[in-house]
Amino acid sequence: MFENIKPGDEIEVRWKYQLLNGILISKNHDFMIIKLKNGYNLAIDYSHIQSLNVISENKPLKLTREEIRGSGKKVTIIGTGGTIASYVDYSTGAVKPLENAQDVLYAEPDLLKLGDIDAEVLFNIFSEDMNQKYWKILAKKVYEKISEGNGVVVAHGTDTMSFSASALSFLIENPSAPIIFTGSQRSSDRPSSDAYFNLLGAVKVAQSDLGEVAVVMHSSMNDDYLSIHRAVKVRKMHTSRRDAFKSINAEIIGTISKDLDVNMQDYKKVKKDEMHLYENLSEKVGLVYYYPGMEKELLLKFLDRNDGLIIAGTGLGHISNDYIEDIKNIIDEGKIIAMTSQCLYGSVNLNVYSTGRRLIEAGVIPLGDMLPEVAYIKLSFLLGNFGQDDAKVLLAKNLRGELNERRKE
Amino acid sequence: MNEEKNKNIKIGLEIHFQVKGRKLFCSCEGEESDNYRGKIVRRLRASAGEFSNTDLAAIQEERKRNEFEYLITDNSCLVEMDEEPPHSPSQDAISGAFIVSFILGCTPVDNIDFMRKMVIDGSNTSGFQRTGIIGINGVFHHNDRKIGIASVTLEEEACKKIEQKGNVVTYSLDRLGIPLIEVSTEPDIRSPREAREIAEALGIAVRRSGYIRREVSSIRQDVNISLDSGNRVEIKGVQSLSQIQEVLEYEIERQTILNEIAAKLRGKGVRSFRLKPLSINEIANSWKSNIVIKAISEKKEVIAFRLEGLSGFLNNGKYRLGREIAERLRVSGIGGIIHSDELPNYGITSENIVKLKEYLSCGEEDAFAFIIVDKDSKANALKIIEERLNEALIGVPAETRAATPDGTKFLRPLPGKSRMYPETDIPIIKVDHNFLDEIKKKIPPTVKERASHLMNLGVSEQEAMNAIWKEYDDILENFIREFGNPKSVAKLLAVVFSKQEKDLDKAARILSLLKEGLITKDVLEDLYNESDKNLSGISKSKEESLESVIKEIVDSNIELVRERGNDSFKPLMGEAMKKLRGKVDGSKVSEALKKEIESRIRGMESNK
Repeated sequence: MFENIKPGDEIEVRWKYQLLNGILISKNHDFMIIKLKNGYNLAIDYSHIQSLNVISENKPLKLTREEIRGSGKKVTIIGTGGTIASYVDYSTGAVKPLENAQDVLYAEPDLLKLGDIDAEVLFNIFSEDMNQKYWKILAKKVYEKISEGNGVVVAHGTDTMSFSASALSFLIENPSAPIIFTGSQRSSDRPSSDAYFNLLGAVKVAQSDLGEVAVVMHSSMNDDYLSIHRAVKVRKMHTSRRDAFKSINAEIIGTISKDLDVNMQDYKKVKKDEMHLYENLSEKVGLVYYYPGMEKELLLKFLDRNDGLIIAGTGLGHISNDYIEDIKNIIDEGKIIAMTSQCLYGSVNLNVYSTGRRLIEAGVIPLGDMLPEVAYIKLSFLLGNFGQDDAKVLLAKNLRGELNERRKE
Repeated sequence: MNEEKNKNIKIGLEIHFQVKGRKLFCSCEGEESDNYRGKIVRRLRASAGEFSNTDLAAIQEERKRNEFEYLITDNSCLVEMDEEPPHSPSQDAISGAFIVSFILGCTPVDNIDFMRKMVIDGSNTSGFQRTGIIGINGVFHHNDRKIGIASVTLEEEACKKIEQKGNVVTYSLDRLGIPLIEVSTEPDIRSPREAREIAEALGIAVRRSGYIRREVSSIRQDVNISLDSGNRVEIKGVQSLSQIQEVLEYEIERQTILNEIAAKLRGKGVRSFRLKPLSINEIANSWKSNIVIKAISEKKEVIAFRLEGLSGFLNNGKYRLGREIAERLRVSGIGGIIHSDELPNYGITSENIVKLKEYLSCGEEDAFAFIIVDKDSKANALKIIEERLNEALIGVPAETRAATPDGTKFLRPLPGKSRMYPETDIPIIKVDHNFLDEIKKKIPPTVKERASHLMNLGVSEQEAMNAIWKEYDDILENFIREFGNPKSVAKLLAVVFSKQEKDLDKAARILSLLKEGLITKDVLEDLYNESDKNLSGISKSKEESLESVIKEIVDSNIELVRERGNDSFKPLMGEAMKKLRGKVDGSKVSEALKKEIESRIRGMESNK
């Protein structure tokens, strides 16, 4: 319908016997959207259009921006998709990822005041589409960048940001520059977006001497502080709030004030010459959320398909006693089964109840206060780079700060 | 004001009506509340636009670098805090908006497409107001005038501003999200008086929908005005009908004078203003002006410049270009411009002035001004002044102004269309045929139709209009159908609805007593105002009916009746009224008494 007109064309439409004048925004299945002179979009059904004329064809406007280069350290921003690196696609009205580095900088020109910013869009995917393949590519790219001694900011969708940040945390040992993940909970096309503060804060931390992978997001619902979270201890705890990211069973590494002053305590500093990149991740690992009434067949299917499985059990780390015998046989065959808790807060302890003790006897590995998602990533990392026996030992050992012996809250 | 003579006044109205019920995009109550439960602090920024660069108006607000504090109330949730995406819009609000749209003869949209109107002053936590068109191109008939209705839109109410301290603006979240129906007229209105009349008539017509909140603060008007095809000026936040007229009269005067200034300046051959700022700290050092002494001690700069041909235009009582400039500076957080039309003053002497004029090489007709600024704001201040002066050559600048108790003041440049972006969190809503058919059934009769219907029932025009305006016309009609006595019912209900507390049960009981003839219509208002006890007393005296009282009186005065026959009526009537005054209508008493006396006389005669 109306093939001859394109978005951006100024048109005159006779609709329901009213003469409308506006700019075509998009054509959908049943209706077209035109922008009226007063700025409103009107979605008008094709069936109510009596006539249509093109007044003038689309003349794209040039966007210009001022370039101010700050004197701070060079930082590379790597875009992977998600709300932080998104804009409104005016052809569909939906939020879409930024296409290239120019877009990233156009969206936040203030970044340039902080230093020499290099931006690159690595993927354009929704964070729910992330997987081991992308993590390997991302780790390699980040490794290359920090090998030059400059910090990296990864702009990432918030849904799976903690998975990706954990993956990089394990894959890049002793990073020689900060690797900072950040995202946004309110899209960057709105004045109230948290994207800008988060991104500016992340760049500041990427210019610091932090030798770890961290996540930088809002501390509270206020635009006053950002929190710096250790990648392997952070989790998205709210579907929509700005302060969705919380360090679980750990304290935050530090904060960033609204004036972008970074304050960090108790963190690992960068050291030269020790960095190592692990290149593999096993895809034969699983993560299962146990629920009362779960069919045993389901659990066994998970174990059948994978070399290792993380279970998010109830309370201190339990699943039904009915499964324990089968689990024992599977572990005896050489597969790895480890236990985390659905409670998230607190540590797994398989010594308190008889079910727990039977799980230990069966060979299930208790993972302390490690988060289920982190345990899943860690197992993927271990099985990708080490043998089964080493993996078993390393899984329960603290490698990147993912296990805390002391919990203060 | 000779408004009638000026044929080139174009006025348009934007009237906002708060809708009853829940908020537009969440399930919170749409009631105002000052029950505060905490606060959040936010900052806003301008974002890149759809077709062009960030909007000018938005940038200007951002220039102020304000911080916003939002008070959380018991009727606000994560949606108002901009911590949760909007929920589906309130179906009631949508229905109400379509009814209003039909009342005003608009063509309904095929789909509701909510937009984000950027509002960067912080009055919306998101930084924008969600708004969608419901109907366009209507006509409103008022007497013999036809006023075009550009659009009826459904939008969300902004936060209530509590205070501003320095660069921190505090808002309350209670009002944010209350549904608003906005009616925008075409610029078809020709005078301030007409604007007031149309606003009032539109208000009554829209309230007929039955969806509008009754609170005093629930209707607000913005007005647009242009003179002689000049620039449009938008005036925000006119609170009352009488203020519409006052503000417009003020604005016509202001704009007329601005046009006059432009014509005079052009006549003098002034083409454009280009400021040549000079630092006069050294000269001003010797002045005995406290303002200047303080400024210099605070290491501020005193910057002076010549204003070519402007002597007398900055402030001569009538021409007040100085004030226009000061308003512009103030919104950008820059205080203090002092110009030659207001000097000598502030401790600056004629001698100081002569020297400064010489230094700036001012001619006879030239004015000068100086500003006291920080280094940081100097360039911006000069730019603002130069911009405003150059606009003075054109006449009236396109501005958004705020209504004030004694006129209007500058708020920001008039926003452009790029201030509107699509709301991506709410899918486009298809408007179903069946839904529209159902809505059409709910369109109320027009005010005219309704008034004449009530008048046919026996109510006066004034009382009919009062009932329609205060939305108790349905109650009035029901009561008349139940209790008869249209005039008395209308009178009593007018009393009931003039009060804060409305006791319709009590009114109904009183009217039922009237119907039964136990009270007279002259006591209705007194009874309504008295305590309930008096009312139940009357109910009990039901058995003590008119007939029995009359009978008793005639019995005890039977000798008088025997002696005087029909002439006994007069004295007995006096006695009857003593007992029945206020309870039964006098004419009824007299009728009953006459009847009783006649029947007794007849009885006596037949006994003879």
